[in-house]
Amino acid sequence: MIRYILRRLLWVVFLLFAVSFITFVIFYLLPSADPAALRAGRQPNPALVASIRHQLGLDQPWYVQYGRYMKNLIFHFDFGFSYQNGVPVRQLIFSRLPASISLAAGAAFLWLVVGIGVGIIAAVRPRTKLDRASMGLALVGISAPVYWLGLVALYLFSSDIGLIPILPGANSYVPLSEDPFAWFTSLIMPWCVLAVSFAAFYSRLLRGNLTEVLNEDYIRTARAKGLSERRVVFRHGLRSAITPIVTIFGLDLGILLGGAILTETVFNIPGIGRLSYSSIVRSDLPVIQGTVLLGAFFIVFANLFVDIFYAFLDPRVRYE
Amino acid sequence: MKSIRVCSAALLALMLSLTVVACGSSSSSDTSTKVGAVPAEQSLTGKTGGNLTVVASSDVDYIDPGAAYYQFTFMVTTATQRALYSFGPDDAVDAVPDLATKAADVSSDGKTVTVKIRSDVKFSPPVDRAATSADVKYAIERAFLPTVANGYAGAYFGDIIGVQEFQDGKATEISGIDTPDDTTIVFNLNRGTGGVVAGALALPISAPVPKEYAAKFDAKNPSTYGVNQVATGPYMIEADAKGALTGYEPGKKINLVRNPNWDRATDFRKAYLDTIKIEEGNDDTTVASRQILSGNGQVNGDFGPPPPVLKQIVNSTPDQLALTPSGGLRYVSLNTTLAPFNNLNVRKAVLAVFDREAMRATRGGPLLGPIANHFIPPAMGGFDEAGGLTGTGVDFLKYPKGNLALAKEYMKKGGFPSGMYTGSQQLLMVGTSGGAAQKSSEVAAAQLEKLGFKPKLRLVTQDSMYTKFCNVPKAKVVICPNVGWLKDFADPQTILDPTFNGKNIVDVNNSNWPQLNVASVNSAMDSAEVVVGADARNKAWAAIDRQITAQAPAVPWIWDDTANIRSTNVAGVINKFNSNWDLSFTSLK
Amino acid sequence: MSALLTVNDLKVSFNTEDGVVHAVEGVSYEVEPGKTLGIVGESGSGKTVGTLTIMGLTRAANTQISGQAIFDGEDLLSASEQQMRAIRGDEIAMIFQDPLSSLHPFFTIGAQLVEAIRVHNKVSKAAARTRSAELLTMVGLSDARDRLSSYPHEFSGGMRQRVMIAMALANEPRLLIADEPTTALDVTVQAQILELIAELQAETGTAMIIITHDLGVVAEVADEIAVMYAGRIVEQASAAELFANPQHPYTRGLLASIPRLDRDRSSGLDPIAGRPPSLIAPPSGCAFHPRCPRAFDRCPAELPPLEPAAAGSEHLVACLLSPEERSVKQ
Repeated sequence: MIRYILRRLLWVVFLLFAVSFITFVIFYLLPSADPAALRAGRQPNPALVASIRHQLGLDQPWYVQYGRYMKNLIFHFDFGFSYQNGVPVRQLIFSRLPASISLAAGAAFLWLVVGIGVGIIAAVRPRTKLDRASMGLALVGISAPVYWLGLVALYLFSSDIGLIPILPGANSYVPLSEDPFAWFTSLIMPWCVLAVSFAAFYSRLLRGNLTEVLNEDYIRTARAKGLSERRVVFRHGLRSAITPIVTIFGLDLGILLGGAILTETVFNIPGIGRLSYSSIVRSDLPVIQGTVLLGAFFIVFANLFVDIFYAFLDPRVRYE
Repeated sequence: MKSIRVCSAALLALMLSLTVVACGSSSSSDTSTKVGAVPAEQSLTGKTGGNLTVVASSDVDYIDPGAAYYQFTFMVTTATQRALYSFGPDDAVDAVPDLATKAADVSSDGKTVTVKIRSDVKFSPPVDRAATSADVKYAIERAFLPTVANGYAGAYFGDIIGVQEFQDGKATEISGIDTPDDTTIVFNLNRGTGGVVAGALALPISAPVPKEYAAKFDAKNPSTYGVNQVATGPYMIEADAKGALTGYEPGKKINLVRNPNWDRATDFRKAYLDTIKIEEGNDDTTVASRQILSGNGQVNGDFGPPPPVLKQIVNSTPDQLALTPSGGLRYVSLNTTLAPFNNLNVRKAVLAVFDREAMRATRGGPLLGPIANHFIPPAMGGFDEAGGLTGTGVDFLKYPKGNLALAKEYMKKGGFPSGMYTGSQQLLMVGTSGGAAQKSSEVAAAQLEKLGFKPKLRLVTQDSMYTKFCNVPKAKVVICPNVGWLKDFADPQTILDPTFNGKNIVDVNNSNWPQLNVASVNSAMDSAEVVVGADARNKAWAAIDRQITAQAPAVPWIWDDTANIRSTNVAGVINKFNSNWDLSFTSLK
Repeated sequence: MSALLTVNDLKVSFNTEDGVVHAVEGVSYEVEPGKTLGIVGESGSGKTVGTLTIMGLTRAANTQISGQAIFDGEDLLSASEQQMRAIRGDEIAMIFQDPLSSLHPFFTIGAQLVEAIRVHNKVSKAAARTRSAELLTMVGLSDARDRLSSYPHEFSGGMRQRVMIAMALANEPRLLIADEPTTALDVTVQAQILELIAELQAETGTAMIIITHDLGVVAEVADEIAVMYAGRIVEQASAAELFANPQHPYTRGLLASIPRLDRDRSSGLDPIAGRPPSLIAPPSGCAFHPRCPRAFDRCPAELPPLEPAAAGSEHLVACLLSPEERSVKQ
């Protein structure tokens, strides 16, 4: 098992290198805007543009730039400076990480509880009105675009512009350390909005899996042993049905930790997602590189973690 | 200030939010009494105290006042920094002495500019001492440092003797700036552009910076003075005891608090508010506008309400709206170096056919400003001399709705006997995707099609449109529909020179989009640069405006107003020079 | 001796989208304490459904159940779910055909055994584990304590079935229902498992219903045999009697189709012609008539009752042929 983990960790390092290189190639060789020109202002001053280009190191060949970037990253954990405002990228990213984590973790908890709950209910009452209604709602939940849902939520429930003013509106996020109550209430709507499509998907997935599992022979055995139906469904049925959910959950959470762009934008939560979007629009390569690497890091580790955890769940895959 | 840079994310969000908010069409008839216009003389009294929230979609361009170049950033710098000259709320043309004690003294040959400054203006903690002329000198010197890289220093202060040696590293200071005593500063120029220099001293570049405190920050690459800056104005960005900013989180917020060392008796500013919180990242401008209008103590920062919301405000609560000329204009530039627009008559035909009212409708209609008929905008010197609202008199700009017959006449003169364009090539047209800008570019394309042109409209992000296409002559873009220009300060040279002077055509960062290079125009500009005295300058540049208009290098379509909104409990005062809220005069009711 | 289990006219049908499935059409039998009843039939004959119904494992909204299954004076078919849960795994236990799919793949053998014990007995986990180890030893597995931590997929098929048996016998049930217990196993292992079952049964005195399609299996272990076809019992007799004197054409067909080592290979196998009947629309009259080599004009019209083959005999047959005609070689 240890060897397996070590091997995977090596692979992780390689992946991160590859991601950083590909990002660099895309945004350096095919940039959508010229960072030096953006910084130089609008007066026609070629000497200034050239000087800025030199300051930013953009006049070096690409491999020199990439090498310098990686050297700083590996030896000094230095992500460089934003082309846009000169702030260290590491500071930009890490100051925004708590917001993204708050959003992702809260939504994850919500969609797990709701998705699994609804999935179980639908699975043990198949083809009833309850089952059909919840699966129908789930379909709507999956189809609704997050941004639209967010706007609808704001126009319905936000305390400043909503019809039923009960929750704080956009731009009300404060860090947990500053004011826990305000932090919590400001995230209720974003959590719900973000969780909807996941909860819907998970409930449908779980319902399908659990229905299948409940037709398995070992469930019949469990009932034949005289176990209560509750124990049969939860301990025997859910235990089997949950494994694909765990896999997907790990990946979904990993992706979200890298920033939920749309939700962060509509609610103005200062997270990684918004940062990555604005940096792409401005061709701010060091920030783009930083956010992409962070996102890749989360996804890769989520993958690794999920694979290891899967071996815990399913003893059959342990001996390879 | 930059050419119109509305956050493209805001425009994208606007496009999406239009699915929720009903989209209204604006009327095409002109209103005679302008709803929401800022009165000529605003009430400048108010209650002291309270917090104002400025709702913004993006960040400032630079937190360092020595590099700042956005109108939105100037909102902050005019509250925290005392430049030599500043603009009070009601006068967008004549600056008042701020750190200076009286108007600048420009010699008759224009080669010397002398300014006397106050001795009683102190820096905020931890510097605490009074500002001197040496601090102003350092402020201008540091703008030329590569670690600061101010975007307009070269344009307006490049003629100071010794700048080149300083930039090349051969000198440690700019020899042409003299400080004979603590309250006197003299600029010695190698050309007679003293009139321009005097006007440019109304920009934050001239706000004093203490060298002994700032030099260590400026030595870093890039300079970190911005996040450690000190203030001379009534407000400062919240900072710790060492001067490091705690109130600035890039992309998130800027917190302004009172500067404890500011002396009310030395300043024309009132500074009623106790604190100002600027909250950034509000990309969805419809939601943000609604929050401001129905909320408390809020105003807009760097975005205007989108057209549907604007329409609603006009119909229901126009007193929450403040419209003021932006000091700029929008136009559609035609590349004069590429066929078919290298032919003057063909260009005149395009200007004649353009339905500029349709273009204006994409921004919100007549409410947002008059149709532009030449290039110097209203409330600037030279505007009236160049023909004012009605224009210079040329027939091809006489018809705001366009005149197809006249256009066809010009096409015939341009070598197209049928009156329509018969060439086969597609003309590359690059616009900004999303929101009102995209709509404007689409309307522009439709106008060209009326004469048989085949524009190939490519839509990209705003930054890309500028830095990869329209600002790069090599990209050979024929039409740029989403360009425009804002004044830098109250001198018409700042509108016409970077944009239509042939010597300002450069490979990268070119702002002379039509690449107009007419010898007579160029030499007229050379002469006008060195004219001294506001009246004479206005006359000279107005004449150049007429010359440029006659060349039909672009279709001017609106001298737009900036729309600003406030919560009902805000006694808002607009700074007409900057066309946004004046934080030093606004108060809460 | 009074019967341990008396099944009276058990009928089970399911409402499905395709129609009503008549799985069990009136089945009656008795099981004496300590004795073994073998139920033989093809798939679809209703043999499994009947026993699952006795256990209460087919109760659902779309299922119609009628008849009685008296166990220890109680009618299991009308007992509450709670009552049934107390009986399942404790008084009546069941083992199934495929031990790999019938054991939960994610839990250790030990956990599953302990669970079977503790659901019916208030004992500590440690005590249950000890008992589990005993059970594994009882079914012939060595290193019982270590095996408790193994997972089902780590065992061979035969070992897994031993575990199932151990689990079923954990609480000393009075009736064991074994549904095709050896079908999924190798022939050699089959013999071992059958031997084991016989041994344990003798030791514990448990009655057993063994369900199979394989006559060879019932020959080994059953005292009494019931042959089912299309949801009905078509022949019922003691094991010895049935093999010596098969009456029903179906039974005779089954016996004839068994491959024999002492026959000439080139003579081929002798299967029963035709296919198993549809339970939604079964053939009229005698359900076997489309495949019966002896069918005559009355067969499609009349449903043959299950009657003694000869007066006073305990050997029951459901066939319209006269006893003499039945004995004729087919």
